[in-house]
Amino acid sequence: MTTTLQLRTLDAQPRHHAARPRPRGRGHRPERRFGVLLIAPYAALLLVAGIVPTGYAVVKSLQNESETGFGGISSYTRVAGDFRFLETFANVGLTLAIWLPLMLAVVVLLALLIDARPGRFGAWMRFVYYLPGALAGIANFMLWLFLLNPGQSPISFLWHGFGYRNLSEVAQPGNLPVILAAMLFFQGAGTWVVVLNGGLNGIPDTLLESARLDGASAWDVAWRIKLPLIRPWLGYMTLLNVAYGFQLFLEPQVLSQVTHGMISPQWTPNQLSFTYAYQILDTPAAAAMSVILLVITLALGLLIVSRTRLFDDGR
Amino acid sequence: MSTAPVRTRNRSEIRARAAATALAAAAVFALPGCAGGADNHVRDSGGPITVWVDPPRVPAVDAFRKAYPDIPVQVTTINGNVGSTELQQKFVLFNQAGKGWPDAIFFPSNDDIAWAASSKINYVRDIGQNLGDIIPEYPASVIAQCRIDGRVRCLRNDAAPDVLWYDAELFRQWGYLPPATWEDYERLSLAIAQDHPGYLTGFLGDAYAPDRYLWASGCPTNERISEKQVRIELTDNRCTRIRDLLTRLVDAGAVSPSGIFSPDAAALGRRLAMSPGAVWWGNFLFRDTWKVDPGRITAAAPLRWAGDDAPTTSSEGGGLWGFSRHITGVQLQNTLTFARFVATDPRWQVELSVGLPAYGPLQQPWLTKQRQAGYLAKFDTAAAAFVLASTIVRSGRDYTRYNTGTVWTHTITPALTSGQPFARAWDTFGQRLTSEARSFGYAVRAGP
Repeated sequence: MTTTLQLRTLDAQPRHHAARPRPRGRGHRPERRFGVLLIAPYAALLLVAGIVPTGYAVVKSLQNESETGFGGISSYTRVAGDFRFLETFANVGLTLAIWLPLMLAVVVLLALLIDARPGRFGAWMRFVYYLPGALAGIANFMLWLFLLNPGQSPISFLWHGFGYRNLSEVAQPGNLPVILAAMLFFQGAGTWVVVLNGGLNGIPDTLLESARLDGASAWDVAWRIKLPLIRPWLGYMTLLNVAYGFQLFLEPQVLSQVTHGMISPQWTPNQLSFTYAYQILDTPAAAAMSVILLVITLALGLLIVSRTRLFDDGR
Repeated sequence: MSTAPVRTRNRSEIRARAAATALAAAAVFALPGCAGGADNHVRDSGGPITVWVDPPRVPAVDAFRKAYPDIPVQVTTINGNVGSTELQQKFVLFNQAGKGWPDAIFFPSNDDIAWAASSKINYVRDIGQNLGDIIPEYPASVIAQCRIDGRVRCLRNDAAPDVLWYDAELFRQWGYLPPATWEDYERLSLAIAQDHPGYLTGFLGDAYAPDRYLWASGCPTNERISEKQVRIELTDNRCTRIRDLLTRLVDAGAVSPSGIFSPDAAALGRRLAMSPGAVWWGNFLFRDTWKVDPGRITAAAPLRWAGDDAPTTSSEGGGLWGFSRHITGVQLQNTLTFARFVATDPRWQVELSVGLPAYGPLQQPWLTKQRQAGYLAKFDTAAAAFVLASTIVRSGRDYTRYNTGTVWTHTITPALTSGQPFARAWDTFGQRLTSEARSFGYAVRAGP
C-alpha cells in the first residue's frame, strides 16, 4: 500500500497523484488553459514584485559608485568591507540559532500532543496556541513593547528578577537575540502548530493502527512514524523561518527607536542595506547587500529542500 | 505515478518561463539608469507653498497663516526624533522622481543639513542673497554651521547653547555656589555624590551627551575640512581631559547612564542638582516634561576649562530651517516671506517658541516674556547666562553626514547601562566613530 500525502507545493501546477491514468488529449487542454488563467495574477505579481526588483538589484549592484557605468564587483567589496558587515550576520545568526531549534522542538511537541488528543480538547488547545500568532506584525510588536517594559509589564517580576528597571535595560544589545527569538517564536509558533497538525491529520489511521498492533509505544509511533512523514512540513517551516530570520528588519529597527538609539541602527544585514541606500546614498552597495542576502537564503533554502526532500513525490 | 503528459507540460512551461524571463530582462534593462544625482528643475506653483515641520513647530505655521491669510500653506507634520533617517530617505526619492520637495522644512536633526546641502541631494538654497539683510543680525557662532563652503544654506530657528543649570533651592540648603569651571564642576559633583547620594549632576545616555561634554571641551569629533574630509582625533588632550573627568564622575555614580529623553528621565530629572544643558532645558525639560516645581531651577554662565584662554560653550540642537532650491517666481517669494516670518517675527519667536530666538533683536523680548511666565528662579542671572552663551559657542564642530550622537548611544550608553567601565566604552566609541565617518566616504584626518 502506498501512502500518498497531499503536499501543498510551491510550484504553481497542481500535482497529479492518482493512480488512474488520465486520458490524453480529451479534457486536457481546457484544463491547462484554466490552470494558466488561475496562476496568471500570481505570475504577474511575482514578476512585478519579485523578479523585476531582483533583476534591478543585480544590475544595480554591478554599477560603479556614482551609478554611471559598469563597476564589476566593486559594490560587493565595498559592502563586504564595511566594519559592520560580519557583525550583522553574527547577530541574525545568533537569533536564528536560538529561535529555530526552539521553534522546531516546541512546535513539533505541541502538534504531536494535539494529535494524540483528538476531539474537543485538542481542538481547543490548538485554538489557544494559535491566538498569539493571530495578531499582525506591528500589533504584536506593540504588545511586546508592553511586555518588555518593567514599568508596565504583567511579567515585570521577571525583569525585576534580572535587576532591570526600565525598557532600556531590558532591551540591551546583548539581550536582543533572546528577545527577538522569543518575539518571533510567540508570533509564529501557533500558526505552525496548526499547519503541522493538519499534516499529522493526513496520516492514515490504518498505518498507526498496524504500528500499534506491531507493538509500537506512543513514543515509537511519534518518533518513527509520524515525524518522518511530516518531514516535508518541517522542511517547509524551516525554509520560511530561515528566510524571514535572515531578512529581519522591523523589530530591531523599532526597538532601536524606542530605546533612543541603544541598539545599533545597523544590527541586521537588511538594516545595513537600508543604511547604504538611504543614508550613505550608495545604492549599488545596498543592492549588492540585497543580492548577497538573496544568495545566502537561496542556498540555505536549496539545502533545506534537498535534505527534507520537500518536493519529492510521496512514496 | 507521474504520467506521460508531464513531458508536454514541461516543454510549454519552459517556453512560458523563457518568455517571462526575457520580458523581465527587457524591463530591467529598459529602466532609465537612475543616476541619483541632484535635480536642477525649478517650478512655480503660482502661490501655494508646502511646509514640513515637526510637532513643536506647528504653531509657527498656524501663526503664519493668521498673519498672511492670502498665502495658501500646505503643512505636513514630520517625525521629530533626533537622529531619525526617515527624512533623508524621502529626499532621495524626490530627487529620483524630480518632484515632491517641500518649499520650507524644519530639520529635526541638525545633521540633516549635511546631506541636504551635499552635492548628492543638494536641496537647500543659498539664502545669503535672498535674506542678506537679516543674516548679520544673528550672533556669528549661532549661524556658523549654516555657512557651508561660503554659502548660507539654512537659518537657525532657536539658539540652544549650553549653560549650567542648577537647583537653586538645593544649593541654598547645602550651602553651595554654582561652579564656574569644569574642574569645580567635577569637585562639586563628587561632593554631591558622596554627601547627598541619590542626587545627580549629569546625564550621559542621550544623543546630545557628546555635544554637551565633548564639544564644550573642544574635542574634535566633527571638524569638517571639506565635503569629503573631516578631522576626528580622540587622543587630543581636549578629548582626554573630558574623558578622564567623566570617568571619575561615572565611577562615583554622580552621573546617570540614562538620557534626558529616557522614560525614567523624569524621576531622575527631579533629583538633578546641576548639569550643563541647553537653554531649552528650562521650559521643555524642567517645566514641561520633568515637572520640577517653579522657582527652583536657574542657570549660570556656561562652564569653562580653567586652562582655556576664553570661555566657550557647546550647543545642543536648535533647529534649522531649510528652503528649496527647486522653486522660483511667486512660490519663491511666498517661501521667502515664510522664511522671514519664522526667523524674525515676534508672533512666532517671542509668543510661541520655547527656545531662545537665534535672531539677535528678538532675544530680549523673548526673555522679557519668560520673566513674566515666572518659572525660573534668579531670572536676571539666567537671562544674562543665556545671552552670553549664545555668543560664545565654540567653532570647529560642524554638522556632518555621520551623527556622533547616534554612535554614542549605541556604544557608550549600553556599556554604561550594563556597568562596563567608561574608558573601555570610550575606545569603542572612538573606533566606531572613525569607521562610521569612513563608511560615509569621508577621509578622516587625525592631525591638524
